[in-house]
Amino acid sequence: MKDLTDRLGTLFSLGDITEKRDDLAFVSVAPDLLRAVITHLRDVEGFTHLVLLTAVDWIEGGQFQLTYLVHNRTRARDIGLRVFIDREEATMAGIHDLWPTAATYQRELKEMFGIDFPGSPRIDEEFILEGWTDIPPYRRDFDTKKYAEETYFHRPGRETFDPATHMKDKLYPGEAS
Amino acid sequence: MTVQDVLSPFTAWKNLFRDPVTVRDPLTERPGAARYRGFHKNDVAECIGCGTCEAICQNAAIDMVPVDGIETKEGDSGLRPQIDYGRCCWCALCVDVCMTGSLTMSNEYTWIDSDPDAFRFVPGVDHKSWDDAELGYHRPDGHRLTPPERIVMREMDPERRIGNFEEIVDGYSVEEARAEAERCVACGLCVATCPAHMSIPDYIATIREGDYEAGLKLLYETNPFSQVCGRVCTHKCETVCAVHHEGDPIAIRWLKRHITDQVDRDRYVDIIGRPAGETGHKVAVVGAGPAGLTAAFDLARMGHAVTVFEARKHAGGMTRYGIPEYRLPYDALDADVDVIRAMGVDIKCDTPIGDKVTMTGLEKDFDTVLVAIGLHLGRSTRIPGSDHPKVAKAVDLLRAITDGETIDVPKTAVVIGGGNVAMDIARSLARLQKQIHGEVGMTVTALEDFSHFLADPEEVKESFEEGIEIFDARGPREVLVDEVGNVTGLKTWKVVSIFDDKGRFAPTYDEGDERIHVGTMVIEAIGQAADVALLGEALTEKLEWNRGRITVDADGRTSEPWLWAAGDCVNGPDVVHAVADGHRVAASMDAVLKAKELS
Ligand SMILES: Cc1cc2nc3c(=O)[nH]c(=O)nc-3n(C[C@H](O)[C@H](O)[C@H](O)COP(=O)(O)OP(=O)(O)OC[C@H]3O[C@@H](n4cnc5c(N)ncnc54)[C@H](O)[C@@H]3O)c2cc1C
Ligand code: SF4
Ligand code: SF4
Repeated sequence: MKDLTDRLGTLFSLGDITEKRDDLAFVSVAPDLLRAVITHLRDVEGFTHLVLLTAVDWIEGGQFQLTYLVHNRTRARDIGLRVFIDREEATMAGIHDLWPTAATYQRELKEMFGIDFPGSPRIDEEFILEGWTDIPPYRRDFDTKKYAEETYFHRPGRETFDPATHMKDKLYPGEAS
Repeated sequence: MTVQDVLSPFTAWKNLFRDPVTVRDPLTERPGAARYRGFHKNDVAECIGCGTCEAICQNAAIDMVPVDGIETKEGDSGLRPQIDYGRCCWCALCVDVCMTGSLTMSNEYTWIDSDPDAFRFVPGVDHKSWDDAELGYHRPDGHRLTPPERIVMREMDPERRIGNFEEIVDGYSVEEARAEAERCVACGLCVATCPAHMSIPDYIATIREGDYEAGLKLLYETNPFSQVCGRVCTHKCETVCAVHHEGDPIAIRWLKRHITDQVDRDRYVDIIGRPAGETGHKVAVVGAGPAGLTAAFDLARMGHAVTVFEARKHAGGMTRYGIPEYRLPYDALDADVDVIRAMGVDIKCDTPIGDKVTMTGLEKDFDTVLVAIGLHLGRSTRIPGSDHPKVAKAVDLLRAITDGETIDVPKTAVVIGGGNVAMDIARSLARLQKQIHGEVGMTVTALEDFSHFLADPEEVKESFEEGIEIFDARGPREVLVDEVGNVTGLKTWKVVSIFDDKGRFAPTYDEGDERIHVGTMVIEAIGQAADVALLGEALTEKLEWNRGRITVDADGRTSEPWLWAAGDCVNGPDVVHAVADGHRVAASMDAVLKAKELS
């Protein structure tokens, strides 16, 4: 993959490069370069297939990571582009004009992380969550357990025991503390 | 219309006799992929009921429930996870976090039943067809959600520590302690094993939150010897830590120490809280060791007037006069004793009970009396030569070192014994030898072989590092004395066995394997007995005894209604057991004193 990343490096200013395997590498690029790099990969380097577009919430660093994975069918190799965007102002230029399928990914990311892709088809329509009122559920500050407790009832008859309390009851019931 | 058109429906018929290109009924068997996350399996013999799977499940799908035939015992709550598949989303977080690796998933995912409650069961207990399935999701090797390795405790290296009595262990920094505290899964299995039932997960949580004052308050609710125990506790709690099944147990003892180190000692009493109003009851305690002082601490906080009588110059008992300073600096012990004094406990040192002040006198002057005199008489091997003046008892020498007495430090000495006391005296004398003679000349001979050694492995390791020679499986036969009457060494035989087939102590030796260990002093460190002379003849007669020990019930009450006994002299064997004893006695005395008020 070094041939490819070297070529890319002469054309664009790249961030961290991670060679995972002979046929897989990841490269970080600035948000405003993403469209240029990915268009180049598609049209010049033969990465014609968009494998996926996904996100990670780096809540500690106040950023979302977007990962665009594209595939070159003839040379059977993949490259992932990593883009870090601000978590508060979570907006990114769409690539649905390059790959129509990207619109679906972008709509999912809007719903699950709250990342906006202005102009992307049906971006504001509900995707799989119906009537969702909470913060987007894949944000790490979403408290899954609390939501589950509040939203879904327990089957009647459920009971749980705290290990330490149970051990006290069984092993040293009379004693203080 | 052509002939072709007429025949075309029939041309399809020619395929009738070909092999089909599709597979016939592919749906009768639908195995999940090899790592499919299907119904759970649990190896309930490995599972310890820690409930970490329940804590991590984001869908609240797991309940911890008692199960027939699985006993609650130290290190195992006896509970097992029950999963509600109405809520489970098959994420496998529970499998990834499982502390023992007992919880896995089969690749079975099809199951039909008209009863919704059938989908709530205890894997491994309620048997299912997939219990023996080999395929399915298991936590991959090396994939851990909790770091398995303990944060290393920094220690002074052997060259620097051997010539002095400075504390060896550094203590954690705030960052190190937090990282260690983050490894705790807060299951609380350890609480039952701690004799004082300290609220371990709760105080560890205060380290994560950085709220040391809250941590200190929790510590002193159950243990007034927290600074002492944070350094020298035998930490049995760590042997049942859930993390130890697949990693190093949490350094519970060092975390306790860390909390006590972080809080300014001037703040202690305010944080711990002042005693209740006076009740007017008077309690006497004999012995200012951990047992006596813990009882005194509790009773004073309940509002009783407590006087402690101590024979020695200073309070602390064996924590001061036994445990060497390099493991427990005196200022840490003093700080704990100061807290106890601040609760209003009157500690009278240099006041042995027996001659001037008698037990009869205490019985008269106080409502109740506690005897917590520890074990201070060193036992002897009684081998030939053991009555020589150059044969000493470990506890006597350790006391002399604490009191700062000048000891005639021999260039070479031999210790008999393989327990922690033997290591303490060997390492203390080694330090004095280094200071006075410039080199270490200590030999330890133990009955047990290394695979059954009594002393802690760290003690053995650190002794070796300090240049002490240890011979295992050696039975002492004779203290050798030359013609002018000087001790020259110890003769030992190889130990063949220590106990007979009934489990009684009856060592046998290989006489052909004899060794002479050179030394001009021999030290016996084979155990201690209580000096009960203080009781006097009449009380000794009245009391019930069991093999040389005063008989007490679970609350520490003797057969005399005014008298309790606690600590090493009746139970033992360590500081935290003495502390636990002290609490039990205080609660029991308080109940008796309150009952008196009512009558
Ligand atoms: C060398 C050594 C090392 C040890 N190391 C450890 C360790 O690392 N960790 C651990 O947990 N435990 C350790 N122990 C054990 C621990 O010190 C004891 O279990 C604990 O101190 C027992 O407390 P206690 O209050 O019952 O008795 P003690 O601590 O023995 O206190 C009894 C007190 O009673 C006083 N006394 C006795 N007779 C009279 C009298 N007639 N009148 C007035 N006062 C009297 C004594 O002077 C003493 O102060 C060690 C013991 C020894 C000997
Ligand atoms: S698989 Fe996930 S949802 Fe199901 S019980 Fe385990 S942790 Fe809970
Ligand atoms: S985490 Fe593992 S060991 Fe602990 S209760 Fe759950 S299944 Fe048992």
